[in-house]
Amino acid sequence: MILGFEQITKSYGSTVALRGVTFDVPGGEIFGLLGPNGAGKSTLIRILMDIIRPDSGMVRVFGEPRRRQHLDRLGYLPEERGLYTRLSVLDVLTYFGALKSLSRAEARRRALEWLERVELAQVATWKVDRLSKGMSQKVQIAGVLMCDPELCILDEPTTGLDPVNVRLVQDLLIERRRSGRSTILSTHQMNQVEALCDRVAMIDRGRLVVYGTVAEVRRRYSLPEVRVHARGSLPQIPLVESAVREADDVWRLRLADGNEPARVLGSLVVAGAVIDRFEPLLAPMEDIFLRVVREGQS
Amino acid sequence: MIHWSKVRTIAVFEFLATVKRTGYLVTTFGMPLFIAAYAAVVTIPAYYAEKRDRALTVFGVVDIARVIDLRGDTPAPESSNVPDEIKQTLKATGQAKAISQALARSTIVYRPFSRESEARTALAAQRIRGYFVLPHDYLQIGAVDMYTSDTFSFARGESRSGLSALLRERLVAGRADAALAARIITPLKDIRRFSVTRAGEVKDAGESATIARIATPISFTVLFLMSVLMTSGYLLQGTATEKENKVVEVLLASANPDEILAGKLAGLGGAGLLQIGVWMTMMLVTGVGVVPMLVAANVEIPWLALAIALPLFIVAFLFFGSLMLGTGSLGSNIREAQQLAMVWSLTAALPMMLLSVTLREPHGTVARVLTWLPFTSGSIVMMRASMEPDWLAWWEIAGPLCVLIASTWIAIRLGARLFRVGLLSTGARPSFREVIRQARLAG
Repeated sequence: MILGFEQITKSYGSTVALRGVTFDVPGGEIFGLLGPNGAGKSTLIRILMDIIRPDSGMVRVFGEPRRRQHLDRLGYLPEERGLYTRLSVLDVLTYFGALKSLSRAEARRRALEWLERVELAQVATWKVDRLSKGMSQKVQIAGVLMCDPELCILDEPTTGLDPVNVRLVQDLLIERRRSGRSTILSTHQMNQVEALCDRVAMIDRGRLVVYGTVAEVRRRYSLPEVRVHARGSLPQIPLVESAVREADDVWRLRLADGNEPARVLGSLVVAGAVIDRFEPLLAPMEDIFLRVVREGQS
Repeated sequence: MIHWSKVRTIAVFEFLATVKRTGYLVTTFGMPLFIAAYAAVVTIPAYYAEKRDRALTVFGVVDIARVIDLRGDTPAPESSNVPDEIKQTLKATGQAKAISQALARSTIVYRPFSRESEARTALAAQRIRGYFVLPHDYLQIGAVDMYTSDTFSFARGESRSGLSALLRERLVAGRADAALAARIITPLKDIRRFSVTRAGEVKDAGESATIARIATPISFTVLFLMSVLMTSGYLLQGTATEKENKVVEVLLASANPDEILAGKLAGLGGAGLLQIGVWMTMMLVTGVGVVPMLVAANVEIPWLALAIALPLFIVAFLFFGSLMLGTGSLGSNIREAQQLAMVWSLTAALPMMLLSVTLREPHGTVARVLTWLPFTSGSIVMMRASMEPDWLAWWEIAGPLCVLIASTWIAIRLGARLFRVGLLSTGARPSFREVIRQARLAG
């Protein structure tokens, strides 16, 4: 495990932000940190980065209790972020790199390389206040990724970016995973979670309410249903509790308790059904998110 | 544990970012030029006014009392308040010409008038600058009437003292021998002053020596105060900008608050000190003539004070800087930050406020107590080491320096905790209780 939170508790005055949060983040994955606004995600990230201290609990990073020395191996793009507006883009990125213990020359070299990678090579000498909001955001992402951190925490990295740039950032994250680097992605964009994340943790009102791989979580919160595209009529089989015709050749089947979709498919084929398409129905992450939050409220 | 490489990175960044700013360059190099231009604006008219007054200035004298007995235009006798010691010093440094110009024989000339009406006519016609009437009972009551035009003139005061000297000269002439007459006219021509040290050694306590001894600690205190105030401005501005630009969390994710605080103090402090260094260099270059003057006057250089000045300056600067930065970072904007940090500015100015007391009794109870307070020890130790170094025990230098170093360490720790709380607080200023709670957790 590259990261582990153990019984993290944190209060601000009388407001409890985190209540005994415990979970692990395996290495080499993109990990989704989810939760509604004010759930405690940013507090948890700040505790991880040693920006604030927990009231109790422990953070383990790279297999050992978190120390300040680990900061050079961590990257962080906060939700509340910005740049020094009066300086040039290259100077700011070089400074951020030097703060992560890169030599000035190396930081400068990587800054130029990463500006190229985020398609902003032309702004290297610009003053930051000349950048558009999207450009500024890409510069900040470059500033974090250029240090090639072993574990990187990105808080809403694509908010405000156009679809082309969202794809660009997603590709960079996938590339990090391919090279064995770990990324924690805090986001409210559930389509991104489905597309990118291997595993998720969801926090609501300071408590961990969901944890697991994306596939597991989706299965856990899905009804036992499959959608079948079949030609002609669909034979009745005992493994199916009910069938609803959604269109001419499309049925949604509710499976009887304990039956796996694969067995149902086999039975349908044996019963003579001509099937064009068969898909287990998994709940979208957005529905799971809404459901968990509503359950928490009630 | 502090990573000094990060402190250095932050210090270099803050230093370069500050010294490249147009505002900094304008202030650093523009301020001396501005002061020079201002001085010129003030001086040039005064110079011409003085030059005009240097032309022969005639004052009338209507001597009804018949005590002065003028026969034709009579110049005023030489009179100067400059001590002989200073005159000799200036002469020894090759400034004789300047002295002779500065102390030139008076340009005032007294012209006798037999009647007041004649003098008044001459004044109305601007042939004379004014006139004096010595009434018949002058010797009994000493009253003299002075008549001038209704415009201002620098020569008036000079004409009064010139007439006074002339009267003294004429009143004693023939009534006492030359030496006695000279002492009556100038009873305290020169005062030679000496001081006796604790060991009974006699030392020069003349004006020049005293000026040098007082100037050293005062310069230190003024310079120190300027550095603290100006650098705190940069520190507070920099922190407010970081909060505003939202780069705070990025910084805190790379370096701990102690490293950030130390880096900022070093970088921005360096920028502030560089600014003062530039100003001092400009002052020294323009006032280089002072050096031979000091040498010629046998001014005793307060070596002890000069030797301890730099370490005291740096430690005291770090002490106040940490407190100001920590406290100021709690403000939600630059105005609030300055208000919060003002308490330290006032504390730093305390030695200036108590200057009259400590100068009068550099080793008195007040000075001894202030020596041990980290808020005042820098300036007070300098003062005591300059004024009467023999009265200052070695432990009264080493002890306060240790107290100051320990206090600075505590101030940096405390400042860093406040800094962490302050940097993360956005919007409203956190309550005192919340600050204490967060600062405890930050430890």
